[in-house]
Order: sequence, then structure tokens, then C-alpha cells
Amino acid sequence: MAYLLTVLEPRGQRSERTPEQGREAYQRMLDFGAGLHKRGLLVASEALRSESEGFRLSMRDGERRVVDGPFTEAREMIGGFFLIDVGSREEALAIAAECPAAQWATIEVRETGTCYE
Amino acid sequence: MPGTNDIRRRIEAVWRIEAPRLIGSLARSLRDFGLAEEVAQDALVAALETWPLKGVPERPGAWLLTTARRRAIDILRHATLTTRKHELLEHVMSDALQAGGDPTHADDEFGDDLLRLIFIACHPVLSTDARVALTLRVLGGLTTPEIARAFLVPEATIAQRIVRAKKTLADKQVPFELPPTAELGPRLASALEVVYLIFNEGYAATSGEDWMRPLLCAQALRLGRTIMSLAAAEPEVHGLIALMELQASRFAARVDGTGRPILLAVQDRSRWDAGCIRRGLAALARAEELGGADGPYVLQAALAACHARAEQYEATDWARIVALYTRLASVAPSPVVELNRAVAVAMRDGPQAGLDALATLADEPKMVGYHLLPGVRGDLLERLGRLDEARAEFEQAAALAGNAREREFLLERAAGLRRGD
Repeated sequence: MAYLLTVLEPRGQRSERTPEQGREAYQRMLDFGAGLHKRGLLVASEALRSESEGFRLSMRDGERRVVDGPFTEAREMIGGFFLIDVGSREEALAIAAECPAAQWATIEVRETGTCYE
Repeated sequence: MPGTNDIRRRIEAVWRIEAPRLIGSLARSLRDFGLAEEVAQDALVAALETWPLKGVPERPGAWLLTTARRRAIDILRHATLTTRKHELLEHVMSDALQAGGDPTHADDEFGDDLLRLIFIACHPVLSTDARVALTLRVLGGLTTPEIARAFLVPEATIAQRIVRAKKTLADKQVPFELPPTAELGPRLASALEVVYLIFNEGYAATSGEDWMRPLLCAQALRLGRTIMSLAAAEPEVHGLIALMELQASRFAARVDGTGRPILLAVQDRSRWDAGCIRRGLAALARAEELGGADGPYVLQAALAACHARAEQYEATDWARIVALYTRLASVAPSPVVELNRAVAVAMRDGPQAGLDALATLADEPKMVGYHLLPGVRGDLLERLGRLDEARAEFEQAAALAGNAREREFLLERAAGLRRGD
């Protein structure tokens, strides 16, 4: 069963770190991902650049609407993700608890599947 | 307060995640696989006793490792202090001090520890049954009762298998190390065989309980990916992963709501898992790029890919399937491959051609007692309108089937012919 672990960071948290602290946090996440890979648990993972560089798009009645970040209405932003393959919800929980970012952000865990059942 | 069952489930999950890392790290510092496995189990027992009362510790992996190390130190202290035991004791204590009880500190070694564990649990000195049981226990973190339920054998049988396997490894002084390059080929083959047996037990479920099936398949895929990290240039590893992903893609579609099998021909293909198919096809392409198109796992994956690529059953490329089975029969001859080749011939050229292709198999000693042979014969005879003969074949197949649901399915097909529908 595949689960998506999304890292929900408080907005602005990254800018509060010194460059060294930022690199250290990033390295810890890389090590965490490398460990998952060696254990055969990792399907994919990526870190994401700040949402201020991102944008949101919607199409309504043929009209394209683009909103540039930052998305100030939200308190959190998606900082990165790990797609893992584990046997159960409890195992996904155990992996999420190991994630270093659980210490400074929130890990949202969702099982993959169709969106209609 | 969370219920006891909740805590138990959490402990079991932690154990499945932590067991390989724990046993690997202990086996390296103790230089004794059997002792490592024993003290790791002791730590699990301690967790089952303590955590429901005191709660799950913040870093459960570190707790388990510290507990297991303490236990190892106790055992080594109480044993006669021969020089070797003394050395081990110093080693494990200095390890405990350096790592500060945090297994993640040793992450560089950890990948190799896992591979060492796979290679020792899948060692060719062990019987196939023992390899499967030991692999599920030390790499899958399954308990003896869970393994026993998966294979529908008494717990004592599995416990015996594991004790004997550990004894064999100790008697033969099998070291906890990666195989030397010269032995890597056969050792890898032995490990891949175990992985595929575990997957098949989950997928085909000749016995055992339903809830175990996805668990075994997930375990097998995980092990396959770990082996891939060592042998990324070996096409058969990618072939096996492709085969497992492609077969796993049909999980949801292959049984109905009550757990009865649904034939490939009538499965709802929109329920096949697109993610599994994508990963499977990518792994197959990788295997072929590496020049492995004629490996047995790669060929089987290529066969599964023929089905995955067909949007409807009618669009299946049977000519390619016959050609792939012919290749497979030449590199890995087996009556089961011949049986499947005959089915493909029937699809390409009609049921009579299929029956002709089956004719030589009836005398094959390995096919005696194999329910799929009469099952396939019944199917072809039914399509030729020879209903009485078809019914007799289905009844014979039902009598030979090991799985209750398959037996029920075959009896229904026989009964359907009796009613004349």
C-alpha cells in the first residue's frame, strides 16, 4: 500500500533559519529519505522550493485563472513529500514518526487510491 | 487511554519497521546472527510487556536497541568467559557507548546490514521452507504465529524451522557478511527465489488467511527493492520487481466482494492499479536496457506486461505471449510453463490447438496432482462443446485444489455445465 507523507511547514519558518540551520535540516531530510530507500520503502521523494515562487491555476468556463504565491490565507505550506510503500496504516504512522520534520512541522499521511470510492 | 489492541497494533507495526535494522545492527556488533535474533526477540517481548503500561517511547527503535544490547551483555556475561566471548562483550559495549543507543547514527552501515541479513536468511545451506520463514521473521518482522497463519501450519512447525535454521547457520559457521563476488550470482538467485516465493504466497494464497496476503506481497516488494540497491546492474532483480508490480496491479480486480477469484478475461481493468503498472513497466524497460530480456523473471514480467498493456481482454497480443512462453520454456523449462503456453496457443489458434498442445503434458510426473491441468482442459473442452468431458475435468480439478475458494469456483463451473448453462 502506498502512502503519501506530506510535510506541512508553518509559513515563514524557513526564513527564520540561518543558512547553516537550513542546510542541516535539509541534510537530515535527505538522510531520512536515503534510509527509507535502503529499506525498500521509498517510491519517490522531493523537497519543494518556497511557495512564494509557486502559483495556483484553475480553469472555469474556459477562463484561466492564475494566482501567484505566497498564499497568505494559509498558515502552512507544503514543504516536500515522501511516497512510501508499507503494509499498513500503523506502519505508515511509524515511518511518519521517524521523519525529522515531524519535530518542526506536521506530517500529513494519506493512502493512495482512487478518488471515487 | 488507548485500548490494549491499539497499543498492540502499534507495537507490531513498529516491530515490522524496526526489526531488520535492529537485528542487522546487533548481528554486526555481536558477530553472531543467532544471538542477535534471540536478543532482538527478547526486546520485543520486553516492549510488549512495558509499552502497554508506560506508553510507546518517543524513539521506539532506540529503546529496542538499548534493551536488546543490555540483554546481549547479560547473556555474554553469564556465559563462560572464553576469550572470544570476552572480545564480543567489549565490542558490544563500546558500540553501545558510541552509538548512544540511536540506530540511525549507523545509517551508512545500515544498508549493508540489511543486505547481509537478506543473504544470511536466504543462504543456500538452508531449505527453501527455512529460508522463507527466517526471511519473514528477521526482515519482515513477522512473529512466529503470523508466519504460521500465513502458511497454515502449526506454530510449533515454524518455531522449529527457525531454531533449526539458526543452528544450521551456526554449525556451518556462516559469516554475517556480503557474499564474495564469485558467489554473488547464485546467492542473489537464492535470495530472489525466496522473495518471489513470499510474493506468490501472498498473491496466489494456496492457504492462509486473507488479511495476510497484501502484507506478504508488500514484504516481498520491499525486499526486492532492497536487493536492487545492491545489484542495480543485475537485470533479473529489475525483472522480478517488474513481475511483482505488474501482478500486484491486479490485486483489487482479481477477487469479488466475497473473495472469490475473477478470471483475467472478465476482470474490470479500470480497477487495475495504474501506479503499479507504471512502476512495473519502468522496471521491465530497465531490465531490458541492461540486456536481460531472456532472463526467467524478465520474461515472466514481459508476459505480465502483455496483459497490463491490453486495454481490453480482446486486445491481448496472444502471438507475443506464445512467443514469450516459448522463450521461457527454453531458458527455464517446466511443465507449468508448458501449460501456460498451451493456454496461449488456444487463445491464438483455438481450443483444439490448445488441447493438442496439452496432450504431451498428461504423462508428466510433475503434473500429477496439479489442479490447473484438468482445470485448463475443462475450460478448452467446454469451449469445444464437449460438456460431459469438461464437467469431469472440473470436478477432478476441484478435488485437487488446495484453496477453498478455488475449489468452490471449480465446482460451480462443473455444476453450471450440469444445468446446461
